[in-house]
Amino acid sequence: MMQVPGEFPIIKEDNVTHSFCGLACVGWMYQKIKDSFFLILGTHTCAHFLQNALGMMIFAKPRFGIALIEEGDLAKQEPTLEEIIAEIKADHNPSVIFLLSSCTPEVMKVDFKGLAHHLSTQDVPVLFVPASGLVYNFTQAEDSVLHALVPYCPEAPAGQKNVVFLGSVNDATADDLRAEAEALGIPVGGFLPESRFDRMPAIGPDTVLAPIQPYLSRVAVKLERERGARTLHSLFPFGPDGTRAFWEDLAAEFGITVDLRDREQAAWEKIRKQTELLRDKKVFLTADTMMELPLARFLKSAGADVVECSSAYINKKFLGRELAALDGVRVVEQPNFHRQLEDVERIQPDLIVTSLMTANPFAGHGFVVKWSMEFMLMPIHSWSGVISLANLFVSPLMRRSKLPAFDKEVWLEGVMPSAE
Amino acid sequence: MRLAFWLYEGTALHGISRITNSMKGVHTVYHAPQGDDYITATYSMLERTPDFPGLSISVVRGRDLAQGVSRLPGTLQQVAHHYNPDLTVIAPSCSTALLQEDLHQLAAHSGVPEDKLLVYALNPFRVSENEAADGLLVELVKRFAVSQEKTSLPSVNLIGFTSLGFHLRANLTSLRRMLQTLGISVNVVAPWGAGIEDLRKLPAAWLNIAPYREIGATAAAYLGEAFGMPAIYEAPIGVEPTLAWLRSVIEKINVVGAERGVPPLGMPKLNAFSLDGMSAPSGVPWFARTADMESFSNKRAFVFGDATHTVSIVKFLRDELGMQIIGAGTYMHRHADAVRKELEGYLPGPLMVTDKFQDVSKVIEEEMPDLVCGTQMERHSCRKLDVPCMVVCPPTHIENHLLGYYPFFGFDGADVIADRVYLSCKLGLEKHLIDFFGDAGLEYEDETAPSEGAPQASNGHDSDSAGSSAVSSPVQAATEADGMSWTDEAENMLKKVPFFVRKKVRKNTENFAREQGSLSVTAEVFRQAKESLGG
Repeated sequence: MMQVPGEFPIIKEDNVTHSFCGLACVGWMYQKIKDSFFLILGTHTCAHFLQNALGMMIFAKPRFGIALIEEGDLAKQEPTLEEIIAEIKADHNPSVIFLLSSCTPEVMKVDFKGLAHHLSTQDVPVLFVPASGLVYNFTQAEDSVLHALVPYCPEAPAGQKNVVFLGSVNDATADDLRAEAEALGIPVGGFLPESRFDRMPAIGPDTVLAPIQPYLSRVAVKLERERGARTLHSLFPFGPDGTRAFWEDLAAEFGITVDLRDREQAAWEKIRKQTELLRDKKVFLTADTMMELPLARFLKSAGADVVECSSAYINKKFLGRELAALDGVRVVEQPNFHRQLEDVERIQPDLIVTSLMTANPFAGHGFVVKWSMEFMLMPIHSWSGVISLANLFVSPLMRRSKLPAFDKEVWLEGVMPSAE
Repeated sequence: MRLAFWLYEGTALHGISRITNSMKGVHTVYHAPQGDDYITATYSMLERTPDFPGLSISVVRGRDLAQGVSRLPGTLQQVAHHYNPDLTVIAPSCSTALLQEDLHQLAAHSGVPEDKLLVYALNPFRVSENEAADGLLVELVKRFAVSQEKTSLPSVNLIGFTSLGFHLRANLTSLRRMLQTLGISVNVVAPWGAGIEDLRKLPAAWLNIAPYREIGATAAAYLGEAFGMPAIYEAPIGVEPTLAWLRSVIEKINVVGAERGVPPLGMPKLNAFSLDGMSAPSGVPWFARTADMESFSNKRAFVFGDATHTVSIVKFLRDELGMQIIGAGTYMHRHADAVRKELEGYLPGPLMVTDKFQDVSKVIEEEMPDLVCGTQMERHSCRKLDVPCMVVCPPTHIENHLLGYYPFFGFDGADVIADRVYLSCKLGLEKHLIDFFGDAGLEYEDETAPSEGAPQASNGHDSDSAGSSAVSSPVQAATEADGMSWTDEAENMLKKVPFFVRKKVRKNTENFAREQGSLSVTAEVFRQAKESLGG
């Protein structure tokens, strides 16, 4: 039975947290859409963020850059980007330029829509992507990118019934998903996004949208509204449980009944060693990538004790099935990091899944940690991703158990004098 | 407005946090949108901090702005409750600086006592990382340093040692070793590891040592004006500068000692400064005189970096290793005049002053030096060009936060730098052999010869996906871009040129051909170019 959204309690806090803003999506989106350029209208802060926190050293000519707002630009009415756009076109010859907003121009009330429209040409559209930290968290700006791509998805005629997967994954994962769908008899319309701008999938009233990333609720709603497409509301295809539900429910959308019980069982069997290690382990997920709910649901199914699952934002409808599966788990939206620290000290979790900013400090406090961002960079989707997914959780536990005893009084001396 | 990809200096917020993250009992609250505390990751990832950096964000959401709500007072209360810092520094980010809020008033609403708060609201569009860090350190010293009795025995403060500093911990160790050998104790290191109490007792030292022009020199100057404390601003980089630095320390300490009736310090036997206490303190002076190094003498070096290291490295390469300096530059506009003055007579042309890495890369490509000393960005530029490069200054990168002892300061540092020069350059005798016999069996494939380690992102991930795979062979790129074709015969002749100058010869030959109005490089054009350009 579909559970009614809103039935499961979510604790909402004040968002004093450690995570990135929406500009982070540039890190994977520019690589996914290979004929694109991502232009951020931003400041020194945006540039420093991309080059430091995301670790994107510039080797040659990256397909992203910052139109740098300097002091002299603050007084100007509207930013003039013509020269920069010309430079980008000359150097990169992109098929599309995504124009990302950031905090400063939003405070300046730059008319981004007008600006993008003005800079667009027939050959090279410039698409506005809201991404600023005033509104968007980390992965949420992928939703904005897909949103901007909607007009470039051809209209599929009524009666053209197929699935369009929603979310950027690497080509190998996309091939796997496509093959799996076809094996089940599900016709595949494509992926939003595809790896080239001119190959975006056709979407129409008989398209079934299958979200494969848990942070894309806005584009799904837009496509439902504008194209009459249907969104699959299932579990996300992570782990044996999620993958089975995803494919069974997707097949059902096409009138195909499949029973993947055995397949799920076999997948659990393949990760038996890992789930044995995860059983009853206390796992704490701080908020970061917005993948937390499906990850926590997999952990719960694997027998772990999820002591807190926090996420920056939780769309109750889009994540309805995940919330239902997490019944009984403490789920927090916009958590307060200070409170989390106190709870972590009290609960003493066996594993903390957390951001780049907080992982090492938690480790210094004696905890076993896993970077939340790694789950975005590893192929963890569907059946072929099951082992990777399980190993991501298990490897830090295994590794830690093999390391020699550690006396922090001895081995941390002088590393961070401010904390001594 | 310009298109930027990468910047040498970080933001004012970054500079502020470098000071506060260095300090005990000091917290920073960013009044900023979600994500501006990415800065936390630079500490927790690069310095691998085993505790939480003292940084909290008072999140500004679009909705808050619309509703006129500020979470700053609430965040300050939370920080006071959870961390109880002696001081909380409140700083706006670039976007919130535009809001023209009265941060003093907002901070006062928190109810946190005023003496535990410091609003440090710079114009982030005007002030960058180093100026902000230097300025905040001065503010803190002004606020807390108090007049007091000097220590009974000779002591110094080490000022400007800051979180994310270049080879910071090793440099500190090197200085401590030398001071210990002189019989001088360290009163306070600031800001690295200092608390408010330490700042109070700064004036108890006999002398301030502030070797970084970028951070700490202004605080030392203030302590000089306010408390009459002498200071040494030179960086002990290289053997001769280290000897001069030691003499200066002894002289200045002895002046204070004379006033206080303390017997003067003398210069110990130099082997006392060595690691085993019984050897030459550095191998550099002998190394520089060896025949091995003599074959280095015609090597052409280009240096680009911050102010402190650009000056010191140029001098070290020329004065101590006898290399040729073909040019130098800095991204520190504020200190360009001082660098120019220090390097008078060292440079064949004007000092390059820019914060655009593309400009620096262009100069390197034109000059094709035998050695580049620069930042991580020059290392990347040089990889593309197959030019030897060593990293000599910030901004730091995960590769500058190694576990071993690699100081740049002192005698120990001179050895480290000389070793790196040696390992980075193509060797001397080997070069002669190659010059003479062409490839000499030493041919490397361009793409398969990683120079120094794989490219690393600052978060520790391989960042090959972030661009290296997109780098085609620079040779191909150049050829394609210029549309200059080479006949097979000319290509074969080019192959006989030693591989490490081949790119330069290719480029020069193409330039020559273009000047001659040729559309392609034939054997004849190649021969003519060789004759007219030499080599």
